[in-house]
Amino acid sequence: MASSQKRISKELAEVTTNPPAGITVSLVDEANVHNWNIVMDGPEGSPYAGGKFKLLLVLPTDYPFKPPKINFKTRIWHPNVTFDEHGSMCVGILKPEAWKPSSKIMSVLTATQQLLIEPVPDDALEANAAEKFKNNRAEFNKEAKEWTKKYAK
Amino acid sequence: MFQPAATPYSPFSTYGVTPIATFPGFQPSGLDSGGPTLFRDPIFTSVASANTGAFSNNTTTTTAAASQFKMSSHDLEAQAALARDFQPALKGPLVAEKKSSLAITEEYAKADPVYVAKTAALPQKYSHYRPILGDGNCGWRAAGFSYFETLLRLQNRAQIEEEIARMTSLDNLIITVGGFEAWTFEDMVEETTKLLRALAELVPSSPQAAMDLLMQHFNNPEISNAIVYHLRLLASSLLQGSPENYQDFIPDNLGVEGYRKNWLEPVDQEIDHLGMTLLIDVLLKPIGFAVEIVYLDRSEGTQVNSHIMQSQDSNGLPTNPGGPMIHLLYRPSHYDILYKDLPSIPLQPLQAVSEVPRNQNIQVNRAANFTHQHSIQSTPMGDYSQLDLLLCIPGFGLSPQQSHHGFPSQYQSPIDQTYAPSPISSISPISPGTSSATTPSSAALQQSFPSQPPPPSTVTSPTLTSPHPSFPANTSLPIHSHLPPPHRPSLTTHTSLSSDLSSPSSAGSSFRPSKYEWRAAADWAQEGPVQFLTSTFKNSHYNTAHYNNPNFQPEEWSPEADEQQNPRKRLN
Repeated sequence: MASSQKRISKELAEVTTNPPAGITVSLVDEANVHNWNIVMDGPEGSPYAGGKFKLLLVLPTDYPFKPPKINFKTRIWHPNVTFDEHGSMCVGILKPEAWKPSSKIMSVLTATQQLLIEPVPDDALEANAAEKFKNNRAEFNKEAKEWTKKYAK
Repeated sequence: MFQPAATPYSPFSTYGVTPIATFPGFQPSGLDSGGPTLFRDPIFTSVASANTGAFSNNTTTTTAAASQFKMSSHDLEAQAALARDFQPALKGPLVAEKKSSLAITEEYAKADPVYVAKTAALPQKYSHYRPILGDGNCGWRAAGFSYFETLLRLQNRAQIEEEIARMTSLDNLIITVGGFEAWTFEDMVEETTKLLRALAELVPSSPQAAMDLLMQHFNNPEISNAIVYHLRLLASSLLQGSPENYQDFIPDNLGVEGYRKNWLEPVDQEIDHLGMTLLIDVLLKPIGFAVEIVYLDRSEGTQVNSHIMQSQDSNGLPTNPGGPMIHLLYRPSHYDILYKDLPSIPLQPLQAVSEVPRNQNIQVNRAANFTHQHSIQSTPMGDYSQLDLLLCIPGFGLSPQQSHHGFPSQYQSPIDQTYAPSPISSISPISPGTSSATTPSSAALQQSFPSQPPPPSTVTSPTLTSPHPSFPANTSLPIHSHLPPPHRPSLTTHTSLSSDLSSPSSAGSSFRPSKYEWRAAADWAQEGPVQFLTSTFKNSHYNTAHYNNPNFQPEEWSPEADEQQNPRKRLN
């Protein structure tokens, strides 16, 4: 077994035996440890509360030397996630230049959760959402809730 | 070499130290390795340089000499800034097969003249090199590969097995000090130990198979990167564990934490000087491997500079003198591996080196007073960079006859290089920080010796293809103040030389001995230890009583011998 798979198996064991609150993990295909389905509850206190967001976590073959990729499969209106079918997410820990092989998927997931609670508008992918988040928080929250109701049931 | 002109030039130019300024009465005159050679005294030509044409004049030993300095980060930055056009290979094997170093010369043949000169000189000291892929891990991979390769070269199965134990036990450092969770890196350590185990199995029976396996593992990206990352974790943990030794070198005020995060732990982040220091400290120094880093850059001079890192005791003496040495070639932001394919027989029993402090006589002491650093790092044993130097010494060279034939005009004397160690060491206490004083030009050099009469020994290479600054003999006057006035430097020196060696016809009648006399001197030298009579020679490493001499023999005083020797020499 390639060492990336060994490492991934350990990560999977950690996340499934002791999952972070509000996150469930399963393999897309039991025979392939590189693709994970994640279901993340919208964190309480955020406009995403009540929603269930599906994400796809892809671990490259040279994991852990290259960072995993994570995408929202459920549309989400968020400054750091593209509001399209790709749902690309920008989170510091996953940037190639910042990624460290000692980082764990567990911490990637909790970082993602944290991003839902605290968007980082200065590092935004959705300028419109970022602008509203900074200048008109009430409007932002309202809109985010609406999109959550619409997509993240 | 028998000219007492200690020529303190080239090692300094690269470090920005002006040695001259430190000698009272000597005017800083812009001595520099960039200027043309005013004064050449090709008494000896090494065999190596005789074979290889114009550039070969630059061979010899500045590298070894220069290595006695610690490079300041300022210098490193300056070097990095000076040369950036080298593009390491971005495709190809992670660790390539050994090639002749001539390939480097060819690569640079059309480059900046500084590179041309430096690379031309390179293959004579380092016969081969091994290109490493420039993927951001080259320094880590080069050092890591060299670690395994050196273990293979030593062919000591027990040592490799000890390394398995050491690597496994270093997990503790990574966990408790580095703060990493075992399961996130244990797969990487496993690649290291697995490879060590396989090599230990193969080494006794088939070293070649072991080498093949090593190449195979290091060219498998998964394994290779795992081992490299293991090394990163070791370096990072070492920094965390002993920040006091390193934190002053952390760039950009990042702090220990920031440096670990930004420089050591990201994948494909190239190694910087501190990273290399950490890696050597954790991986190589504990097992007595020394590392020489050869800097190929556009700094002034015709020689590459180098720097040796090795384990030292509290007195600055190497704890494993003559131990294995790894040579790395540094070009701005890239590392390759260099090799000296020389016979691996130690030239001198090692204890001779370590006994030096106890066996000093007065002369040696005087040398040692200012050569503390020097004594450590240029001990020729195990540091083969000095081998070519030895070729220049009558009686010590591999083929002394060839070593001192005539004075061919196209060859530059290696004299200045052979002398380099002593002047350096005499100045080594100076901080390299005084760098601003060195930007001498050749014009300054010329002006500073306007009254220098062309000495009979002046043989200047007509083409000046390898502008190599030699020093007029009188540059050494401030050091050896007992010498006569500068207007007859070569005459004086050779006269004293000839009388030392008791050459029959040279007692004041000629400017310098003929080659026949040299031969006689060489023969004579082979009969027994040369007894140099002038203090300059006594203090030089050509004296067998000098601890840097490969045939080092502590001087012992015995009254009878004293009486017998003198008449004998006069007769001779």
